[in-house]
Parts: sequence; structure tokens; C-alpha cells
Amino acid sequence: MLAPLGRILILASLFAAAAGAFIGFYAGRTRSAEGLKWARRFAYGYAAAIVAATLVMVYALLVHDFSVSYVAHVGSTQVPTWVTVVSLWSSLEGSILFWGLVLGAYITIATFFTRGKYEEYQPDAIGVWLACAAFFSFLIAGPANPFHTVLSPPLDGPGPNPLLQNHVLMAIHPPFLYLGYVGMTIPFGFACAALIKGRLGHNVLKPIRESLMLPWIFQSVAIMLGGWWAYEVLGWGGYWAWDPVENASLLPWLTATAALHSIMVVERRGILKGWTITLIQATFLLVILGTFMTRSGVFNSVHSFTQSAIGPTILGFLAAALLFTIGLLAFRIDKLEVEGRMEGAASREAMFLVNNLIFVLLTFTVLIGTVFPLIVEAVKGKQMSVGRPYFDSMTVPLGALLLFILGVGPALPWGRANAAQIKKALLPPLIGAIVFVAAGYAFGARTPWTLLTLAFGGYAAQVTLGQMFIPMLQRMKNGDSFGTAFVDGQLRRGRRRFGSYIVHASVVIVVIAIAISSSMRQQMELHFAKGQTLQAGGYDLTFVGVEERTEPHRLSTIGIFTIAKNGKQVARLEPRMNQYQMMREPIGSPDVHSTALRDVYISLSNIDAANETASITVFISPFIVWIWLAVIALALGALFALIPPRRPAVILSPSAATSKDPVPNDAAAETA
Amino acid sequence: MNRTVLFVGLLIAAVLVAILFLGLGKDPSEIRSPLIGKPAPSFALREVGTGRTVDVTQFKGKPMVINFWATWCAPCWEEHPVLVANARMLQPDVQFLGVVFQDKEDKILGFLNERGTSYPTVVDEAGKTAIAYGVGGVPETFFLDANGVIRAKYAGPMSPDILRENLQKAMKQ
Repeated sequence: MLAPLGRILILASLFAAAAGAFIGFYAGRTRSAEGLKWARRFAYGYAAAIVAATLVMVYALLVHDFSVSYVAHVGSTQVPTWVTVVSLWSSLEGSILFWGLVLGAYITIATFFTRGKYEEYQPDAIGVWLACAAFFSFLIAGPANPFHTVLSPPLDGPGPNPLLQNHVLMAIHPPFLYLGYVGMTIPFGFACAALIKGRLGHNVLKPIRESLMLPWIFQSVAIMLGGWWAYEVLGWGGYWAWDPVENASLLPWLTATAALHSIMVVERRGILKGWTITLIQATFLLVILGTFMTRSGVFNSVHSFTQSAIGPTILGFLAAALLFTIGLLAFRIDKLEVEGRMEGAASREAMFLVNNLIFVLLTFTVLIGTVFPLIVEAVKGKQMSVGRPYFDSMTVPLGALLLFILGVGPALPWGRANAAQIKKALLPPLIGAIVFVAAGYAFGARTPWTLLTLAFGGYAAQVTLGQMFIPMLQRMKNGDSFGTAFVDGQLRRGRRRFGSYIVHASVVIVVIAIAISSSMRQQMELHFAKGQTLQAGGYDLTFVGVEERTEPHRLSTIGIFTIAKNGKQVARLEPRMNQYQMMREPIGSPDVHSTALRDVYISLSNIDAANETASITVFISPFIVWIWLAVIALALGALFALIPPRRPAVILSPSAATSKDPVPNDAAAETA
Repeated sequence: MNRTVLFVGLLIAAVLVAILFLGLGKDPSEIRSPLIGKPAPSFALREVGTGRTVDVTQFKGKPMVINFWATWCAPCWEEHPVLVANARMLQPDVQFLGVVFQDKEDKILGFLNERGTSYPTVVDEAGKTAIAYGVGGVPETFFLDANGVIRAKYAGPMSPDILRENLQKAMKQ
């Protein structure tokens, strides 16, 4: 009953998306207001159908209707309800349905909030969005159909992948990733529309920036959650392994970050238009590439879904999207008019360009490292992998350079500056650099890269804090009280500026925390008998005993440890081995004691319940929590920057109000 | 029209799509064991139940099926009847041998008494043999030819078809 209903709804969404895409492009070409209206209606229609289809699936999962093929694959009456809901995206077909749902939500929001505005670009943008939606509905209707009818339904299913049940972070990491990934479709649509029209007007920059920023925030959090999950679950004490699928999530983030910066140069100077558009399109294409990588079975990874027929289909879509984009760029990029020019190498816009080049270089570095094994296998027929050394040796210098630019860039003024101004801007932050290096040295940092990172970080921190509070300090100079100046200068007026510099400050913290945690990590292998106490990195670890716990879907063998510092117990950790019924191997679950300064992390390598002995690996890593916390701060800062500025108090003159491209005064003022 | 954008773009796109296309259709979880084509690592382990030592070299001269498993692994229960039936059918032409690791002897004995067996099972207490064979998880099955050379490896539970297909590779030699 539910399966046919789901299939009908998916076909309805496919129809709405395909028809809407066609009408959108047609309306863009003929500038038909009626056509635009219909394109919008079809956009809402697509969203309604796909939301309804997802609800049908969620309902089928909740009532354990095993006559729906997807439920028969991933459902189980044995698992907790939250696992049942999460299994919506735990397997291939469901994850594509979830993709469609998120795309529906994004298209609805974008269509609704741009109604009556940007009418030059909207029809083509809707056309592009719905064309993408049509592809995903086609996938759901055909190669990845979760709504097949199972003729003789089983009484119970196997439940979702045990790794997914192993930690609650797995319930939130994928949705964030989809909100990031899928959202990149919206700026892609605007960028294509601008190219189709051969014009990137000032007014359309705002929706492009905002529609890029929102998924960028989700993507940032998703990458962090993925690292956090790996750290909490996989048991090797690290959070990033340059796994192909981790790289897949990083690639579009890199180009999106570059685009968010180059948009500002377009806003201020009217240059880098074609470049910015290219970055936004590359972001979307890398999203599709990442989707291919996770779902084609070409790459092996903890994340990858098993191989399936949908790999070739997604590859076909990627090829088509590449052709469309490259054709569009080739034919239209020269039409985008350049309004200004680059002023000198020691200017802020030049630093933006350097920042962009580094991000693009990083993108290529990671991309080549990710697909290189495929090239080798195709050419030589040998299996190989590009390991950490390649990625570390390539990305660490580029990352340090980015941190350097993050300090120097905002210190420099826009446009031309004379030597005295440059000196005045660049010299004082050296104090911050010295302070950070000294503090790091006192803490025990010795490796050259870590000290260099601290120097750049200190420099950037001082510049960032200085720039962050300029509006408030100016108001206080003019006689405002601290409170008024803070509220008015930081919270009301200068939100975009304040938020952006919170993002920068967070990045400084993340990079320093990564440098310190990876260069100063201690790792020890210890073997315990029951009751034994051993020392590790200034802590006393005691093995209290073994506990076996049986749950319906798994059997856990838990090693119980207490951790004491200076004779005082600080934590009790319970690393465990989980044996799931349907898995070949037991899955270890480490346990972590986190403090602001360092984490104590225990991973079981062997546990013997009969003899009550345990072998563990202990990792003591400083500053780890700051990575997670700073990324959360980054997301909040970026969200704050997204809150639209208050409407200008001055009434625009009639000519300005009706002009096609009013210069957004407050946006320009805020980024000054 | 901007020819540079067109040519550079198409070049990057063509290379990328070609690489990804070539990558399609392979199973990345099928890890080609470096041991295939090489003589099987020798081992001598204690047999469950009897306590006598079983040396793998004593079976030279006929093809062998070495199955790594454990009692805590559900897929191993699933494949057990397949192995037992085929071992019974194929003896004395093919020698089957079970190797259990990360497990306890009383549990293994209980398992075999309950479900029956038709071939010897040895215990790899320290897990050294499993390491020598590069076993990543259970069950994993190796197929040796009459000269003791590994001809095939399969990770995952045996079905009659999978068993026949892999055993043919070992019998051909």
C-alpha cells in the first residue's frame, strides 16, 4: 500500500521538476512573467511531492512496513526508535530520497524569498534548480528506487549499518552534510542564470552570497562532526585520515570558502566576476563528484555505500553538468563587464586574490591525491593508496600560508596604500605573533611548523580582534558609552563585519589546535591485569575490570578504567568492543576524557573477559576540544553575519529606488 | 567565446570523467591478497577436541580449503552447514580445515558438537596464523592447490556457488 503511494509521489515530483525546469528556461528566454509564475508553482509542486514521499517513507519505517523494499533492507523491530528514523539516510536509496527532500526545502525557500526580486535572473535560476531536482527524482524513480514492493515481506529486517548505531553523532552528521552539499545547488543556479544573461549585476550578489553562506555553514559543521565522530568511534585517536570521502566533503568547502571571499571583491571593486562565478560552479560540480565518490563503489571508505547501478548514472549527470557549465562559461564569461581594476600588490583585494589562489591550489592538491590511486590502477593495474605523507606535506604549508594571509589581508587597506600606511598596518601585530610563540613554547611546542603556525596565528589573532571591534571603538571615541557602542556598533550595524571576524578568530583557533594536537600527541600501548595501575603521560590508569553487556542487537565487552591525576580520580572510562549480530568483525568503541587542555583517550586493542586482562592504546592529545568548539563558534559567527542588515533609515530617492542596480549602501559600509 | 576556458575546461572534465569511468565496475572491498600465487604460510596448531597437533604441510598433495572463523560471528554460523556438507561430499579428494581465532576452546567445542562437523578444526590461540594469512575479519576462506599454493581468497560467508567457483581455481592447477 505504502510502496505504490511512494512511487506515485516520486513520479509526481519528477514531472513537476522536469516541467518546471523547462518552463523556467523558457521564461528566462522570453522574459515571460506568466512563465516565471508557472515555474515558481512547479517549484513548490516539486517540493510538496518530495516532502510527501519522504513522509511516506518515514511512516513506513516507523510502522515497520516490510513490504516497502527500503524498510525491508534497513528496518528492524529490534532497534531503538531514533535509529529507525535515522535509517532514512543510512543506506543508498534512502539517502538519495533524503537528498531530494533537502533540495525541495532549499528550492522552496530560495524561490519564496526571491519572489518579486531579481526577476532578470530568477527564471533561469529556477530552471537550473529544477533540472537538478529532476535528475535526483529520476534517480529515486529508477536506479535508486526505495519504494519497490516486496511481495513476501519478511517478519523482521536486519537494521541499519551498525557503525551508524554505534554513536549518536551519526544521527546528526549526515543531515548537516546534506544541508551543506545540497544547498550548493542554489548559488549554482544563480551563477548559471548570471552567465545565461551575460551579466552579474550588483543586486544579485546578495542572494548569491547568502545562498552560498548558509550551506557553507552546514558544510563546515558537517566536516567537523565527521571528524568528531571518527575521533569518538573509530578508535585510532585521530579525527582526519584523508579518506576519499572525507576529501569529498572538503573539496566543495574549499572552493565555496574561496568564493565567499572573492564575492567581496566583486562587491567592492567590480572585478573577479568570472572567477567568482567559476568558483561557485566548481563548488556544485565538486558536490556531484563527492556524491559519485560515495555512491559508485569506486572508492573504499568507512562511509561508502555498496556499489550499485547508480554510479554510472551519477557520472553521466556529472559529465552533463560539466559540459553545460564549461560551455556556459566559455560562451559568456567575456560578457561579464569589469568595472574596476586591481590596485597594487599590497592591497586588501590583492590579498583576496592570493587567498583564492591558495584555496584553489589546496582543492587541486586534495583532488589529485584522491583520484591518483584510480589513475595508477587504470594505467598500471596495481592497487595503491596515497597516504597521509602526501596530504600532510602538501596541505600543511598551504594551510600555514592561508593563516598568514588571514592575518595580513585584513590588516591592509583596500586600494592603493603608501609605504608608511603599510608599515603602520603590518608592524604592530608582530606583538601578537611573539606572544603566541612564547606561550606555545612554554606549553611545550617545539616543532618548527607548530611554532610557525603559532606565529601566524598570533599575528592573525591580533589583526582579527583589532578589526572586529573597529565600529565599537569608533563610537566610543565619539563619546558613546561602552554598552551603546557595543550594541550599536557590533550587534546592530556591523553584524556582517562582526560575524565575519568571529569566523576568522575561530579559524585561527582551529588551525592552532590542529597543529598542536597533531604535533604534541602522545601514544602508548599498555597491557593490564585486573586491578593493575600503570602510568601514562602524567596520569595513573587503573584497570578495574571487565563487564559484559547484552543488548538485543549487540553484545558489548567493556573494559572499565579509572584515571587519576596527582592521586585524585578524574574520570572513569569504558572503552568497549561491540559485536553486532550481522557483522563480521567486532567494532571497538573508544572512550575519551576531555578537558580544555588535553584529552585522555583509551582504545581497546584486546580484552579477555575470562582472564580479566586488557591491552589498550592510550592517546593523550592537547587542545582537541578547541577544534570542535571553534567550529561551532565559526558557524554561529557566520550565522550572525547572515542576519539581514536593518533597513537603511534614510529614504531612498525615487531614482535610486527604481534603479535596476542600487548599490547596497549598508552592505558596503559594513564590510569597510 | 573564450577558447581558453573552453579547451582547459574540457580537458580537465574529460580527464576527470575518464578516470572515474575507468574506476567504475570494480569492487574496492575485493582486496587482492598478495599471497595469491604464493605458497601458503605453514602452521601447526592444536586440534579442538583431540588436542593433537595438526600440521598443514601433512595435507600436501591434495587441494585444501582453509576457513578462518569464530563462534561469535553470525555469518560463520550461516556458512557452517555449507562447509560441512561440501567437505563430506568432496573427501578424500579435497581437505577442509577450520582455523578458529579470538575465541575459547569450550565454546568452539560446544558449537561443533551442536552443529556437527566433517573436518578438523584447529585453534589459533595467539592469532599468529591469522596474521600470517592477512585475515582482516571472519569468515575468510583460502583455497590452496595440491602444491600448497594459495589460488584464491574469499572474505565473507561461503555459499555453495562461491565455494565451487573458488575451489575450481585451486583444482585447475
